[in-house]
Amino acid sequence: MFPLGRSALCVRGGYGLLAPREVGARGVARIPLVLFVITALVIGSVWCATPVAAWADSKDDRAEQNALADADAGFGLTDFTRYQTGNNRPVEGEDIGYRYPLDDDADVVIAVTAEGKALVFMDEEASIEAGFAAEGADDADVFRALAEELDERAAKGGETLADNPGREWTISTASEAAVGPYRVRVGVAAGGRRYVSVIPAEMPEGSTPAAAAEQQGLDLSEALSWVDTARLVPASAVTGSAEATLGEQAANFFSGLDMRPFWVSLKTSAVALVITFILGLFAAWKTMGASSRLKGVLDSVFTIPMVLPPTVCGFLLLLIFGNATPLGRWLIAHGVSLVFTWEAAVIAAVVVSFPLMYRTALGAFESLDASMLDAARTLGWSEARIFRRLMMPLAWPSIAAGTVLAFARAMGEFGCTLFFAGNYAGVTQTIPIAIYFEWMSGNTDVALFWVIVVILFSFVVVLFINLYTARSLRYRERGGTTRRARSAQHDEAARAEEPAGDVLRIDRAALRSLIKDAAASPREGGR
Amino acid sequence: MKDLLISRRSIAGLGAAAAAAALAGCGNTPAEGSAEAAGSAPAKSTSDGVQLQVFAANSLEKAMPEVEALYTEQTGVTFADTQYKGSGDLVEQMRGGAPVDILITASAGTMDDAEEAGLVDADTREDMFVNDLVIVRAEGSDIEISSLEDVASVDGNIAIGEPGAVPAGKYANQALASVGLYTEDEGEGGEYDASIADKVVQADKVGTAAQYVSTGDCAIGFVYTSDVYRYDGIEVAYTCPAESHKAIVYPGAVATGSENADAAADFLAFCMDNEDALAIWAEYGFELA
Repeated sequence: MFPLGRSALCVRGGYGLLAPREVGARGVARIPLVLFVITALVIGSVWCATPVAAWADSKDDRAEQNALADADAGFGLTDFTRYQTGNNRPVEGEDIGYRYPLDDDADVVIAVTAEGKALVFMDEEASIEAGFAAEGADDADVFRALAEELDERAAKGGETLADNPGREWTISTASEAAVGPYRVRVGVAAGGRRYVSVIPAEMPEGSTPAAAAEQQGLDLSEALSWVDTARLVPASAVTGSAEATLGEQAANFFSGLDMRPFWVSLKTSAVALVITFILGLFAAWKTMGASSRLKGVLDSVFTIPMVLPPTVCGFLLLLIFGNATPLGRWLIAHGVSLVFTWEAAVIAAVVVSFPLMYRTALGAFESLDASMLDAARTLGWSEARIFRRLMMPLAWPSIAAGTVLAFARAMGEFGCTLFFAGNYAGVTQTIPIAIYFEWMSGNTDVALFWVIVVILFSFVVVLFINLYTARSLRYRERGGTTRRARSAQHDEAARAEEPAGDVLRIDRAALRSLIKDAAASPREGGR
Repeated sequence: MKDLLISRRSIAGLGAAAAAAALAGCGNTPAEGSAEAAGSAPAKSTSDGVQLQVFAANSLEKAMPEVEALYTEQTGVTFADTQYKGSGDLVEQMRGGAPVDILITASAGTMDDAEEAGLVDADTREDMFVNDLVIVRAEGSDIEISSLEDVASVDGNIAIGEPGAVPAGKYANQALASVGLYTEDEGEGGEYDASIADKVVQADKVGTAAQYVSTGDCAIGFVYTSDVYRYDGIEVAYTCPAESHKAIVYPGAVATGSENADAAADFLAFCMDNEDALAIWAEYGFELA
């Protein structure tokens, strides 16, 4: 946060002072405004989508999904549920055979046999109430069409009623039917609930379905492929089956969207960035001052996470902090239990983004003119002050670019985070991890949404780097390293010497005035 | 001038700090509504009740959240973000030190591994579901498979779970071995027959294998019957005979490291006994063992 805030300040300050002299600066100064608007748009679009867990309102969605009516025929089906399998557990100690659940108010059951026949069991009262004429061929066809459509919606990819146009349909008001060696019974009451159950057709006196099936070598679960249950109602009782408009679909999509990956990403990379920024600059500064042999070693150590695959970093971190190694166990025993926590995600992000910060800062520091730093030393400046007042301002454009890159890298971290911090929604699930797992679970639209967010974000980042670099270039050409330097009028000649195009090139005039100022001011110099 | 500069800087600093604080605040709000997963450790007790961390086989990804929601509604026990991965990955993640209350895997073998490593309490182990291994094709595809041998003549890639981490892949290899298309009867550590070797695409989860077929990257894939119900655009082409592979069971157990072992055992019992939970399993095609 700090570097971004600070750069914005520099730009604003520059605008205020330069505007009277140079009208061209106006355009440059609009850049942060444009950036701000774009960023706000991205964040705003994400913000507007209220974060709700994906399943929170699935009940309502379902009610609309599993109801359908035919206005002409005057009846419809609601509460349509499809059970792919049943089970043969006894209900409160009572063996009722292989059973499928049946809701209390369901009055239609479609049992699809292994041979592909559709057996429809219909409650007589309900069919009269709904105005369904069992004998009328038209009503049967309408019923079949409704059932096929609803079954398709509930099939979740399994075989559907509509798959087989030649399917044999039998509609009856009976409560049981024989299917080969099996008997299918509807509305079997047990334990205060109702079931659709399959038992052997031949049941010896006193035997249980399970025992009889075993005796006859039958597998009760094989009698039926699946069972649909529903309520038969007058068409007027069915609501909300209208197709959702595009706007509603979008609203549904956004209200069902889990926004936590965005916040986790932002929080993780913001914290990681603060750590990376401080560590990276410090490491670069100290490495620069080190002897050449030590420098080689330090440099390799600091840079290696950049060349290693992130999964290797993740694996190493897991070995260090995980439960599988003595070191990890020792750490866990001493209260350092980091694996699969949010802190782990931050550490992973720091490890992979650190080299970017470090390399850019080191490169910028090394390209500073050493004689100038020495000159500052002869004036009695402390090393810390040289770093703060000389190296940082001069290397700032590169450091700012490095910071943005490090932030983007932290934001995009995947392999190391997944290894070390896992995929916990709302805790360690960042946007890249969400993209992968949403796609894997078949939620392609959610994955696509996150991809678009990331592309927009990356676009803003690249735009920022380019515009900021361009701005610093012009700023620098004008001799604007510090405010006071700008007030000096003698920079015309200095600028002529200075070839444009290299942001790291030092503005000698600015530096001169800077050192002169510092020497002239006892308060500053004394510190 | 100088003072002005400093004051502007400090204002910017304050602004940045305020922004950071606001960010942190925002970050927490969205999490509250759902899994109460705010905070750093994924699995821990919240002040107002027990929170369970479930590690479940990838194939349970669509059904389990509904059962959990039902349980939360009835008892108030909440769930940290449940992990759905290949069973082998889950065991490795537990070995790595992830806090877990309940483990449900898709094969006896992976649960054996967890038991041997002392990660789960063997006394609480129970076989929860059975499943069938099927070969799926993209919906409307004209690929016909009437026996396992037909796999060799399929034109296109074959998605199979990575046998080390994905039990479905191991079962698939066992089925292939039964017709000589894989060298190891155990389904692991062998080689595919030359006729299919360069067509096999390994997936890191059974869901990934289903997804490969759904997107058309693979022509056929070996998945469970229950996977057909949770991915759009795939259909069963062939059901592998039960004798071609080991019985597919889903064992569940309470983790030894669980701080809420009793609550975890209660939830496992709920999964198996509650009639509403059973209805959810039935909807998603999980047959109780």
